[in-house]
Amino acid sequence: MSKIIDKNIKNGVVIVSTEGYFNKDLGEALKEITDQEIKEGHKSFLINLDQSKIVNSIGASILIEIIEELQTVEGSLNFCNLAPIIAKTFKIMGLTKYCETYENEEAALQKLA
Amino acid sequence: MKFNFSSFSKSYDKERLPRKKIEFIIDYLEKENFKVLFFLNEKDYLPNSKKINLFKTENINYSSLFSKNESVPFIRISKHFKSNLFQENQNPLVDISGHLIGIKLKSVYLGAFYLQHSKFKKEYIENLLEYFKHLIQSNFNEIVLGDKLKKRSSDLRNKKLEFESFLDISELLSDNIESEILFQNLLEYLVFTMNATKGIILSKDPNSGIYDLKASLGINDDLSKKILRENKGVLALLKKRKESLIQSSNKDLSLLSYSKKNCVLGPFMSGENLNGCIILYDKESRNGFIDFNQYDLRFFNSIVKKISLSYDNIILLENIKKSKKLIDNIMSSISTGIVKINLMGEIEYINDSAIEIFKFNNENLLNNHYAMVFEDNMNLVELIEFAESRNHILYEENLNILKKDRNETSINLTISPVFEEGLNSGSVISFEDLSDINKVKSTFKKYVSENIVDELLLNEGSLELGGVEQEVCVLFSDIRGFTSMSEKLEASKVVKLLNQFFDKMIDVVFKYGGTLDKIIGDELMVLYGAPLKKKNDILNAVTTAKEMFTTLDKFNKEIVADGFPELRIGIGINYGKVICGNIGSEQQMNYTVIGDTVNLASRLCSAAKPGEIIISESVNKELIGNHEFVLNEDLTLKGKKRPVKNWKYTHHIL
Repeated sequence: MSKIIDKNIKNGVVIVSTEGYFNKDLGEALKEITDQEIKEGHKSFLINLDQSKIVNSIGASILIEIIEELQTVEGSLNFCNLAPIIAKTFKIMGLTKYCETYENEEAALQKLA
Repeated sequence: MKFNFSSFSKSYDKERLPRKKIEFIIDYLEKENFKVLFFLNEKDYLPNSKKINLFKTENINYSSLFSKNESVPFIRISKHFKSNLFQENQNPLVDISGHLIGIKLKSVYLGAFYLQHSKFKKEYIENLLEYFKHLIQSNFNEIVLGDKLKKRSSDLRNKKLEFESFLDISELLSDNIESEILFQNLLEYLVFTMNATKGIILSKDPNSGIYDLKASLGINDDLSKKILRENKGVLALLKKRKESLIQSSNKDLSLLSYSKKNCVLGPFMSGENLNGCIILYDKESRNGFIDFNQYDLRFFNSIVKKISLSYDNIILLENIKKSKKLIDNIMSSISTGIVKINLMGEIEYINDSAIEIFKFNNENLLNNHYAMVFEDNMNLVELIEFAESRNHILYEENLNILKKDRNETSINLTISPVFEEGLNSGSVISFEDLSDINKVKSTFKKYVSENIVDELLLNEGSLELGGVEQEVCVLFSDIRGFTSMSEKLEASKVVKLLNQFFDKMIDVVFKYGGTLDKIIGDELMVLYGAPLKKKNDILNAVTTAKEMFTTLDKFNKEIVADGFPELRIGIGINYGKVICGNIGSEQQMNYTVIGDTVNLASRLCSAAKPGEIIISESVNKELIGNHEFVLNEDLTLKGKKRPVKNWKYTHHIL
């Protein structure tokens, strides 16, 4: 139900697309990817949440962990295509202070690349 | 010695600052050749980069060690206590000249740190220890308080998330959306707010008593194919308990088997009746599944009760929408135009056919007064006014109306008052567009009998216009010696005689379902099986031909009495494939048939003597057991290479 559906790198930005409920499983799958990419020297990440319409607090807390990891290497976690419920949850969970959100991939890449 | 951390405050946020300071202090001490170790019950107090300096301790009573002094020379520590500090094989050969200093938060010890330097004098070390004790303790205080604050902020955020979800769910329940979407949204809100992994919503079908799956998230089984009833299992339990409850995973109960840990179940109750339920499975934590607890149950129950209260309304609204959709579908599928007006004369409903009949085009019809909507048709407006004033049903046939495209048409109109609980609530106006019906009737009634026209109108699919190949029986009749006879009569008398003759003949044609294709001079061409194919087309053609003779006998008696000579006819019938359709130019187009079958029928007619019917082999085949037709000599006909077999019937005047 919840999975990573795509990962690619454009102009140095690691773009990861998810599908389904952003919970612990999906959060951990994403963290595995970000940990690996950070090791390989990537610092800029864009998470495309177009196919994920809900996130729980465990998923959000894993995103905070990823942001913490990225802060230690001066990196950034960014999001695009946020469903209204996810945007609201991110705001309540305090994520929006530490990350940028974009309307879509193109808009994000214009800023990040 | 004094550290200046002012630059740190600018570089690091409040959460990271104390750990950064500890990291800096350790780096400094190690650079100055101090050996620094930490003994802590909680490993996260040290920054990740300094975990190498950490010995994780468990259940050590630091208070007793530091009861007299917060700084103890390592040499004075008992063996037993030392062994508690280090797990086996992890003792880093601590130099006994070092000191162990307690890290205290208020009156509770978080642990201790060890400091040792081989060169500095004892007095200098003691001063240094006092300084670092305060520095490290103050930073650990900040770390602990910061972590507590972080935890409480996180708890607060979770509560806010729950509160926001509660508000969102309340809003959802008051939204006028499809019940399927509503239930799916409710489930998703509850699943993510309560950190569940999956969930379902079931709703009872009041007719069958079977619970239908209304929404699901994360369940791979096709639950919609399982019969779920309240006589056993989880649903029976919910019906009995009538309140939300927590249940452990149970492989024997199908609805609980989706759980790995436990689940919360909430009934949608309406009095004593269970109408549906919601089940959430397995609460997530960062470290795996955890049990739903009593706090979760309280939150869940408050939402389930809210859904329960709205449930009846949701289902009622769903039923109303279904009924409305059904009525809309019915109204859209009928060709009769329907308009409902209220007591104020405003249009409350108009179906697609009414819009089509009047050729309304994007006009604002609903809630508009009928006098405005039908302003081009004052006759209609007056009839509606009249019907309203009389409050009874009004019928009007063939009412001419002007459509919005400025073309005219005629309608059959019915205006009926509508009563709700005995009180008039307006009127329903229905329009039957006669334009198509009239067009078809006027086109066909000249050629076919009324019952065929009606049948064609009732069964449009049976009529295929425009070049289709089908098997048809073609009858030709021709008046013998008419040319020479007409030369002896006045032209007006000839026309009158012919008209009377054709009237009689066409009556017979229509009697047996024939279609008058054309009249050419004194010749009639009649079709059986076009445009509408019937079972006995050939037999009908033959019966028509025979009855034409008997009718002519009677007609002859009448005309002879009037001084006209007797008329004698010959008839030819053939059956076979023809091309049917509207043939001609754009200016004049007629429904007819063409092909060799037609030509042969015409030739057989030419070969027939007065009082004779000549039929082809294909017609004769269908007349099994009929001995009235006898095999005739083969005919050599124009356009036919081989002689044509034929059968002959001779009429004897009675």
